[in-house]
Amino acid sequence: MITGTGVTKTYRQRGNLLGGRDVQALRGVDFAIEKGGAVTFIGESGCGKTTLGRIVAGLETYDSGEIVIDGTPMSGLRHRQRQAHFRRVQLIHQDPYSALNPTRTIHQTLHAPLALRARQKGRSKAWAEERARELLTLVGIDPGYVLPRYPHQLSGGMRQRVVIARALTVDPEVLVADESVSMIDVSLRLGILALLKDLRERLNVSVLFITHDIATARYIGDDGELYVIYRGQVVERGPTEAVISEPVHPYTQALLSAIPVLRGVERPGAERVVPTEALDERHADTGCLFARRCPFRTERCESERPSLEGTVHGHACYHPQPRAVIPVEASA
Amino acid sequence: MTESFAPGVRVQDLTVVYRTPVGELPALAGVGLTLAPGTITGIVGESGSGKSTLALSLLNAVQPPGRISGGSVEIDGLGDVVRLTGDDLRRARGRQVGYVFQAAQNSLNPLKTVGKQLLDLGRSHDVADLPALLREARALLGRMGLDGGRVLDSYQHELSGGMRQRVGIMLALVLNAHLVVLDEPTTALDMITQATILRIVKEVHRERGLTTLIVTHDIGVAAEVTDSLAVMYGGRVVEHGPTMDVLGSPRHPYTRGLIRAIPRLSGDIGEATALPGRPPTLGTIPAEGCVFRERCPLRMAVCDTVDPAPAAYGERTVACHAVGRPVNLAVRKEYV
Ligand SMILES: Nc1ncnc2c1ncn2[C@@H]1O[C@H](COP(=O)(O)OP(=O)(O)OP(=O)(O)O)[C@@H](O)[C@H]1O
Ligand SMILES: Nc1ncnc2c1ncn2[C@@H]1O[C@H](COP(=O)(O)OP(=O)(O)O)[C@@H](O)[C@H]1O
Ligand code: SF4
Ligand code: SF4
Ligand SMILES: [Mg+2]
Ligand SMILES: [Mg+2]
Repeated sequence: MITGTGVTKTYRQRGNLLGGRDVQALRGVDFAIEKGGAVTFIGESGCGKTTLGRIVAGLETYDSGEIVIDGTPMSGLRHRQRQAHFRRVQLIHQDPYSALNPTRTIHQTLHAPLALRARQKGRSKAWAEERARELLTLVGIDPGYVLPRYPHQLSGGMRQRVVIARALTVDPEVLVADESVSMIDVSLRLGILALLKDLRERLNVSVLFITHDIATARYIGDDGELYVIYRGQVVERGPTEAVISEPVHPYTQALLSAIPVLRGVERPGAERVVPTEALDERHADTGCLFARRCPFRTERCESERPSLEGTVHGHACYHPQPRAVIPVEASA
Repeated sequence: MTESFAPGVRVQDLTVVYRTPVGELPALAGVGLTLAPGTITGIVGESGSGKSTLALSLLNAVQPPGRISGGSVEIDGLGDVVRLTGDDLRRARGRQVGYVFQAAQNSLNPLKTVGKQLLDLGRSHDVADLPALLREARALLGRMGLDGGRVLDSYQHELSGGMRQRVGIMLALVLNAHLVVLDEPTTALDMITQATILRIVKEVHRERGLTTLIVTHDIGVAAEVTDSLAVMYGGRVVEHGPTMDVLGSPRHPYTRGLIRAIPRLSGDIGEATALPGRPPTLGTIPAEGCVFRERCPLRMAVCDTVDPAPAAYGERTVACHAVGRPVNLAVRKEYV
């Protein structure tokens, strides 16, 4: 089990178009990922999802708060001990274009970690070869086709599947899947989601799932938790189905409203919420972080910051209200 | 200023092959597709189905080891672009046909500001009035909700993914092209940014009187913006028609399977079903018979030997032996 308490992270930035000031990527985030459990983070680009994923994978430092892995607080450990814990967490990179070394064939890419794995497990070279084929088949691609090829010879979707196969080479306990199905074909997306669900059930692997495609969160297991993060703060959190079907925070509602409607099959929700303006890092940090863009803000929202209230289904908003934002069946 | 008109496009019997160690293999095999003037057409299909290859063919820009080996791409005002060469071709790209490449987010030059790259583009197209080009670019960026002046002064790494995507769209439009091809314009963007970009695409399309082609692997994106939807599989267009109709009552078994596989926000999780099997790659596309048969629930004997030719059913075109007769309502019910 991995828990985070009050995790904060600030990036010091030099002046440029996006900011010219420090960015508070995480502002005191609490979370808990049970062994074999699934936690999904959703939010716009720049809201801190990748930062959180990298912290959980031990690839990024944090300024304050605590990460506890299986009862051991990470902050008290020396670098090497900490790395040993974090090795059990594998990050699946979000960008399939830069995640693979362009000068190596897929066979070479998979062979290095598998050869190491074979030595650790006292297995043969043939095992490593067999395992490479098995993993590629698992993620839905033809080993015979991709193994001899270079990344540029594969289509975008295939590349992402190779990236996932590579993460699986080390038999991780926690998978941090950052946008890892967004690039994948719809026909295979369900397969990969089912695969993540399956890995949870069979191997008790935990999944920290980071996605823009909120609907996919429903498919990695119905016991999952959904966290909605905005500018580094968790603004709504609860069982995945509850947050999707009865969102109460205007930001969650805006995210759900933005999901494309399958015209011809569905109709848009009756109360779609559209932010009044675009996300801007330079928006005031005083009141509610979403106030500048919130169609429902009041004076109080601009001076005070709501904190996350509620146990099972929590939200950080002074005026929470359920709204019908998700699409409904066209025939209904 | 060129005259403002939305060109129609007729792709006929287009074949594109890539050279591989086992010889030249077709990524597109006799594709036919018509883009009606002034419409937004979407191309959807799985990875490797040939979407980008088809999109690139509209500019005669298929790169070696690929080449167009047969067929034609007639664009109103340009003629058959397959026959264009040299300077004529270079001028057509950008001027008449604007293009946003797949992964445009990674295709800007990291060492030059956006403004510098814009000036390079202008010079390569012999634009006489460069200040006017800059003004036009600023106006377009402003139109897309960005501070044009600041974006032009920025380097790629100073822009977010959504901003880069809008820069790509600006570069495709700034020379006043009236046919615009967008390859995966919102892939890897978050939902709100995606919704914004799609709204911009629709608005600019309408305001400028464009003919627009959007390539996407995301059917939701196509559903949101397109008038007309083409579904590709194994280098063929297997179904094409008005978007609402294709999604509401898909006829090709592949289209049905694709729609059923979409993760949805509501309803029973079990209703979404993965399409069994995987799409063919260049080397595994069957040489004869229907390319979809390995994954098809309706496969018949004829499917093993005869590649189904696209046939018109009203506004719809479908290439499937099982769709030869009036639609079987018993099969369709679950999709309507
Ligand atoms: N440079 C190349 N050399 C060899 N084969 C290629 C090359 N580019 C593409 N192909 C092959 O041609 C077929 C069509 O590729 P294309 O890029 O058009 O697919 P796509 O539908 O755009 O896929 P994606 O959704 O992944 O972008 C694929 O089988 C691909 O592997
Ligand atoms: N290495 C970095 N240096 C400076 N700022 C960064 C860095 N990584 C992320 N940020 C900033 O931190 C914020 C959160 O980013 P990120 O965690 O990548 O968000 P997300 O994954 O939700 O898009 C953004 O404002 C981003 O620009
Ligand atoms: S606290 Fe106020 S501004 Fe913030 S989300 Fe709620 S209503 Fe909107
Ligand atoms: S032609 Fe045959 S195999 Fe192909 S889609 Fe139609 S029924 Fe299926
Ligand atoms: Mg990210
Ligand atoms: Mg493509």
